[in-house]
Amino acid sequence: MDPHGLARPDLVLIITYVAISLLGLLMIYSATAPGLEARGLDPTRELKAQAFFVLVGFIVFAIVSTVDLTEVRRFVGPIYIGSTLLLVVVLTSLGDSEGVAQRWIDLGPIQFQPSEISKIAVILMLASLLARSGIPLSWRTVARGILVVAIPSALIFLQPDLGTMLVFAFVLLAVLFVGGMTMRQLGFLTVATIVGTVGVFQLKLIKSYQIDRLTAFIDPGSHELTLSYNQVQSEIAIGSGGLVGKGLFEGSQTNLQFVPVQSSDFIFTAVGEQFGFIGSAIVIGLFSILLFRLLSIAVAAKDRFSFLVVAGVASMFAFHIFINIGMTIRIMPVTGLPLPFMSAGGTVFVAMSAALGLAHSVWIRRRSPVADQ
Amino acid sequence: MTSPLRIGILGLVMIGFFSILGIRLWTMQVTEAQAYETRAEDNQVRVVLTPAPRGDIWDSKGVKLAGTRSALAAIIDLALIEADERGPLSQNLAAFLDEPASEIEELLSATNLGSQITVATDITDAQATFLLEHREMFPGVNVIPQPVRTYPAGEVGAHVIGYIGKPNEQDLEERDDINGEDFLGKAGVERAYDELLQGVPGVVEYKVDARRKVLSLENEVSPSAGGSLILTIDSEVQAQLQTSLQNGLMQARRLEMEERRLAIEEQSRDQRVAQALRDARAEALEQALEEKEALDAAVEAGEPTTTTTPDDGERRIGPVEVDEADVLSSLYSGLPIDADGICVPVQRVTIPHGGSATVTGIEPRLAKFESVATVDGELVAHVVVEGKSYKVGDHDPFAGTLRVLEISEDRLILNHSDPWCPIRAVGVVLDPNDGAVIAMSSYPTFDPTAFVDGLSVDQWNSLGTVSAFTNFAVQGQYAPASTFKTVPYVLALEENYYPINRGVGDKEIGEEQTGGSTQDDAPVVSTTTLLDGPQTPVNPEDQDEDALLPLRSDTDEYSCTGEFRFRLNDGSFQTKRDWIWPGAHGPLDLHGALQASCDLYFWDVALRLWNERGDDSGIDKENLLQEYARGFGFGSTTGIDLPFEREGLIPDRAWFISEQRDGSPRVRQDGSWVGGDLMDMAVGQGAVLATPLQMANGLAAMVNGGTVWQPYVVEEVVDQDGNVITENQPTILNQMDLDPRTTTLLLADLQQVVNNQERGTARSAFRDFGEGVELIGGKTGTGEIIKAPRSERFRQVDSAFFIGVAPVTDPEYVISVVIERGGSGGRIAAPVARQVFQFLMNGPEGVTPIAPGLDAD
Repeated sequence: MDPHGLARPDLVLIITYVAISLLGLLMIYSATAPGLEARGLDPTRELKAQAFFVLVGFIVFAIVSTVDLTEVRRFVGPIYIGSTLLLVVVLTSLGDSEGVAQRWIDLGPIQFQPSEISKIAVILMLASLLARSGIPLSWRTVARGILVVAIPSALIFLQPDLGTMLVFAFVLLAVLFVGGMTMRQLGFLTVATIVGTVGVFQLKLIKSYQIDRLTAFIDPGSHELTLSYNQVQSEIAIGSGGLVGKGLFEGSQTNLQFVPVQSSDFIFTAVGEQFGFIGSAIVIGLFSILLFRLLSIAVAAKDRFSFLVVAGVASMFAFHIFINIGMTIRIMPVTGLPLPFMSAGGTVFVAMSAALGLAHSVWIRRRSPVADQ
Repeated sequence: MTSPLRIGILGLVMIGFFSILGIRLWTMQVTEAQAYETRAEDNQVRVVLTPAPRGDIWDSKGVKLAGTRSALAAIIDLALIEADERGPLSQNLAAFLDEPASEIEELLSATNLGSQITVATDITDAQATFLLEHREMFPGVNVIPQPVRTYPAGEVGAHVIGYIGKPNEQDLEERDDINGEDFLGKAGVERAYDELLQGVPGVVEYKVDARRKVLSLENEVSPSAGGSLILTIDSEVQAQLQTSLQNGLMQARRLEMEERRLAIEEQSRDQRVAQALRDARAEALEQALEEKEALDAAVEAGEPTTTTTPDDGERRIGPVEVDEADVLSSLYSGLPIDADGICVPVQRVTIPHGGSATVTGIEPRLAKFESVATVDGELVAHVVVEGKSYKVGDHDPFAGTLRVLEISEDRLILNHSDPWCPIRAVGVVLDPNDGAVIAMSSYPTFDPTAFVDGLSVDQWNSLGTVSAFTNFAVQGQYAPASTFKTVPYVLALEENYYPINRGVGDKEIGEEQTGGSTQDDAPVVSTTTLLDGPQTPVNPEDQDEDALLPLRSDTDEYSCTGEFRFRLNDGSFQTKRDWIWPGAHGPLDLHGALQASCDLYFWDVALRLWNERGDDSGIDKENLLQEYARGFGFGSTTGIDLPFEREGLIPDRAWFISEQRDGSPRVRQDGSWVGGDLMDMAVGQGAVLATPLQMANGLAAMVNGGTVWQPYVVEEVVDQDGNVITENQPTILNQMDLDPRTTTLLLADLQQVVNNQERGTARSAFRDFGEGVELIGGKTGTGEIIKAPRSERFRQVDSAFFIGVAPVTDPEYVISVVIERGGSGGRIAAPVARQVFQFLMNGPEGVTPIAPGLDAD
């Protein structure tokens, strides 16, 4: 372990991370307490559950921060294969079905979503691949990069989890871009993505409920009580929050639970309604700081592998934030992507913390003498 | 391009992303915040639907048969509770309502019911207050006014009115305008006119706060009641019909019991068993001989057989055994009786494990439920009845009258049934001038109020097992027996088509035909052409019959003996016996034949139709009788405005072939449609089936000059202010072009059935009618039904029929009465009709008690 590592933490990053996490806990509490209380249950039940994961996440962040990415690089292959195998497992009888999708693995008291781990594994694998190739990238490398993403994407498609597939696509584009892809390759990939997406819809490879869910946001009035119910309720909640919000526990939408799954996917709704535009702006500002720090870390990375990993992590966060908040204000389809560090959910929080930890470890070692050629 | 530059570009993309979010949030939360606030407020309003009162149901004279009263109901708005809240809530509700928690839980988890679930109907004010004051215990529970259906007339008109209930899956699928909490009509006009009766539910909107407490009432729209039905039913006539049917059925049961007691007195227990043994032995012997004959025939025909040398049948049958309990029950002593010693069609016997119960009967038996065991995964009970041991599984029949209904470790439930006890009485009164139904009922009946709160198990056991909820007037199908003779009667007059008087010259059956006037009127030489065409012999083999010519007119006399021999296609003779056999009717013309219900006359009409089938008259004689029957509305639904109406059946060759192809048990599997089938139909037996409504409606058409009206029970539907919403106009189903003479003669003959003191089959039943009996006409019928396979050996079971009309001078009423297993029409169905006619013609004071008439077909 690098004896100087803990001496050079990125305090801005850590403070932002902790602040977002704590704000997330408050929002989860405000969203779930009235409902629990009305039922005569412990109003802090959901809060306590999430607080535990936040604590675990902090510890994971701290531990991963100390890990040297150069060491991690040696295990990228096994990590990638392992996480891909977990995606296979989730499709088997071990997987747990929630609603119509099968995304969970049940390990007794713990349940987790392998797709969250897969996101990190894919970033590591992509970075490892590109770190070995020259700049600009050859078509061959681009093809391999696509393959790296395609395998887990195919498995996730079977779950099915369209949101994660979109994350993969965006991360692939971003990492290839910062990794030295030519403009021609970028153009090709962009066109290919558009053609592929249209093709998937046209060939009806995705199930009709997925199309419904993705397109309901365009005309929510027509399905006000069905598909886009969440989105319409969420939009009303955020809009009615006004400039300064209705105040904590005063959100009629959030507290009356007109917005379902608000503590997980729709947590931003609680922010928008209770704290208004100011609160929303603060949350977006905090995420901006986080992303600015991540991009700075990328630039300061000691080697190309670390650089690509951090860029990948930043892209992943950025895409999650954009899709998730966009969904709550009805400019993006409902995809089930969580808001990093705020949405309730154990695997997500811990996995995101680990990803952030990876970036932080790059920061800690930014001036390390060992070069990775 | 360097990496930092590309990172910068990535950063710009992210800034672009976040800017989009920021702009959108600004427009929503700052620019358009007001609009969203309004929508959020609307969101806090919950909407509760309050059920509309169903429309009333009135009889034709303004008597209310169904209405509503106002009550309170506890409902749950499922939108206000979470899934895991349901457990404690159902516990609390269970304790409050004193019902099993599992039932309430089931209610709450029923997802097909919409968001509002009624958990308790008709709660007291105190209960309502308690629920509303303890919201923490009862989240989501609310109290709303709820109309409750009432039936002030009770059982009167129950089968026409029907009953209401909660919708089932199918109802919800078919109807968009109802939810799981609504009541809807399940039978009768409640069902047929449900959509008009429903009304429009009201709306209550109230505001709730963040703690789910109700803040204020926002808006309230009262429900508007559904349309009211005005029936064609006259509840006074209806009540009389029901009373008469009930009295008639009870009378039939008492008569049945008298016969049974006589039979028991005649023979001691040992004698009965000995007799049964002799019968069984004779039966076995007969069967053995038949087998032997068949075998001999096969050997003669040179067919290879596998059987060993045929020996004496007596030796081959071996020892014959009879079940003593079976014998006793067959001779009535072991059949179920009620506390008054009167038979009941079915009784339930429950025996606790290890205990015993009395199986009722004239000679009651003690049944002990000794033990229960599992054999091959099925429960088998060991039961001892009067010392005799039985091992029985589910649905097994045993000890003559018993059948297992349910076996469990705790108890044994048995059906104790009687296949001979008169089971049901059905009646219809119609206006022959427009098809309006004046009264309609089947007994046993029910009080529709029972369905409002849900039927109890006891009610279901006592009423459901005898199908008391079924309207047999439209759903019961019976062989109409001799009442159906009116059809060949009309055919004969209309087509000028009379039978060959085969009594003349036929020594076999000609003996009773002495001293009559037949000789004088019998045609000696006749060149009459029938049906506009020359008559040609169809079957050249029937030489002796061809020598005889048909009667020329309805007044030509026919020798109505007791027995009837006719030649089959293969040249062999078959014998049919009239109901009066071993007696005889003597010489009768068409009119006398109807009045005395002579089977032979109408058999011969059918036989002639059969023999002349396919002749060159251009008339499809094989199907002529069917054509008339169908013309009068038999064999198809009348389309009355009541649900579940059955078609009945007018059989013909095509039907026979199709049934045979389907392997139906209703037809012989070997052979084809034959003249005998047509002959059976002519007297309303064989495969022909009719509903009591069809019987009345067919008669109505015959007596009104040939107009077949579509029967109806709802005159009009009116709204709350008395404005007519819909009015049922009388509809003509078919117009039979009857010669006015036919109707006049039929009415005169029907009048004679009631009034002719020598041969009228209903004369004795109408003896005490009082004033105006000469205005009454009718026709009796006795249908043979054979329920139990062995009943033939002991006694045949008959159903009694009567169709009637009054006044014969200008018909205003037609009636049909069926007493299932009641005996003969003259004895038991005619007296029931007599009471109803007494009421119709002479008022309530004119009604005299039911007394059985003479046994006559």
